[in-house]
Amino acid sequence: MDNNKQECELICGKCQVPLQMEKVEFNYMNHQFRHDFPRCPVCGQVYIMEEIVNGKMKEVETALEDK
Amino acid sequence: MKRIISKTESLCPVCLKKINAIIWTKDNETYLEKSCPEHGRFKALLWRGSIPIEKWVRPKIPAVIKRPNTSIDKGCPFDCGLCAAHRQHTCTALIEVTQRCNLRCSFCFADANGDIKDDLSMEQLEFMYNRVMQTSGNCNIQLSGGEPTLRDDLPDIIKLGHEMGFSFIQINTNGIRLGEDEAYVKALKEAGLNSVFLQFDGTEDEIFQKLRGKSLLAVKTKALDNCRKYRIGVVLVPTLVRGINDHNIGSIIDFAASWNPTVKGVHFQPASYFGRIPGLPVEAKRLTLGELMDQIEMQTEGRILKSGFSPPGCENARCSFLGSYLVQPNKTLTLLQSAAKCCEKVENAEVGAQKTKAQVAQKWASSEIIRDPRINKHEEKKQLDHQQDQWDEILNEIRQSSFSLSAMAFQDVWNVDLERVKDCCIHVVNPKGQLIPFCLYNLTNINGQSIYRNQ
Repeated sequence: MDNNKQECELICGKCQVPLQMEKVEFNYMNHQFRHDFPRCPVCGQVYIMEEIVNGKMKEVETALEDK
Repeated sequence: MKRIISKTESLCPVCLKKINAIIWTKDNETYLEKSCPEHGRFKALLWRGSIPIEKWVRPKIPAVIKRPNTSIDKGCPFDCGLCAAHRQHTCTALIEVTQRCNLRCSFCFADANGDIKDDLSMEQLEFMYNRVMQTSGNCNIQLSGGEPTLRDDLPDIIKLGHEMGFSFIQINTNGIRLGEDEAYVKALKEAGLNSVFLQFDGTEDEIFQKLRGKSLLAVKTKALDNCRKYRIGVVLVPTLVRGINDHNIGSIIDFAASWNPTVKGVHFQPASYFGRIPGLPVEAKRLTLGELMDQIEMQTEGRILKSGFSPPGCENARCSFLGSYLVQPNKTLTLLQSAAKCCEKVENAEVGAQKTKAQVAQKWASSEIIRDPRINKHEEKKQLDHQQDQWDEILNEIRQSSFSLSAMAFQDVWNVDLERVKDCCIHVVNPKGQLIPFCLYNLTNINGQSIYRNQ
């Protein structure tokens, strides 16, 4: 395990190991963003809270779509 | 072979009477042709370029003007105010706060050359703001002229507009005072100025010499610097004239992108034949939107593709094009996905938006979300705050780097299509508080006579 990566108190429901804060790359419509999110070091799944998915993520989607 | 696309109405360039017109196309060129019983036949170029005019469409269900200012009497275009036959609401209301100017340009749609005693009083401005609010609600306001920055009380005019409920106020300026008077820029910012529409014809002083009679690149660059300092967004607005600055289109775009996030885009305006112009139109010299899209692709060596441009969702499709981008750290532009591309069907904006949102949600949801029952409330709150911050940063990155390339083809007495005028959403407010579509307000006949300006 990389000691430079900060562990957080969240546990991966599938692998039962603590998630780590990592730079996660998001791709949407050919645009990339890299930001810190908790990720499982085993299966690689990223934890994004429901409130965020329905709130800020939607705002980002809208901003990236040319209406 | 000539092919007739549509029949419409236009105006006689001599007597300004309403006359029938046809729009026909041949070999990628489209013309409006009309005949006045008294003054003869006239032909004007509407469109030229690799994208055929018939593909440049975006049908819309017309808007209904709920509170028309004028009644229908003589018929379009002689009842403006807006009248009940108009088909689009105000997107931008333009108020000419002065007719004075500190330049004497060879091209000026307003033919500005006024006196300080003709400046609108604060009471008149309040009346005009009020009429806009009554007719069109909280639309965008553009304070124009003449040169609006010649008024020392422009910050007060901006404050008044905000106090009266207008949330977006922009000035249309040559930028000379913004470059020379930093304290004035600071006062404009403090008054709540949202945006500067900066006349910017090119990246070479020779262009300014020819169009504006002066070398202005240094002062315009200083204006940009002051806007950057006070965090005021700028749109560069080149007036394009064939043979003077049409070779410089790619360089203008590169220059603009290099100034992002201060510069939020470029809005090209091919010169039209109204107001103050040198001579009568020469059809070969007209620069149309179709050619401009071709030129952008060519002069940027394919970095900006014409296929990325869309007809507008607000005004008539033939009036403009728009492309939306993000500026990358290396100052290149990446296209934002476009929702509307040359639609075959009449658009219902709301349904379109819902569809896109559904597709988007699926794409984002590629990572399965882990929800563990052991997460405690404290950790949950900590995570939420953190994640909010991270997405705020992403949003901020997008907003900072957003950039648009657009152009608007104004109509003059030679090529005016009255069907297109009815879809106009940029309205000049006259001192009577009436809202006049921009092209009709500025339109002049062969002798310089207006229908609306100074009437």
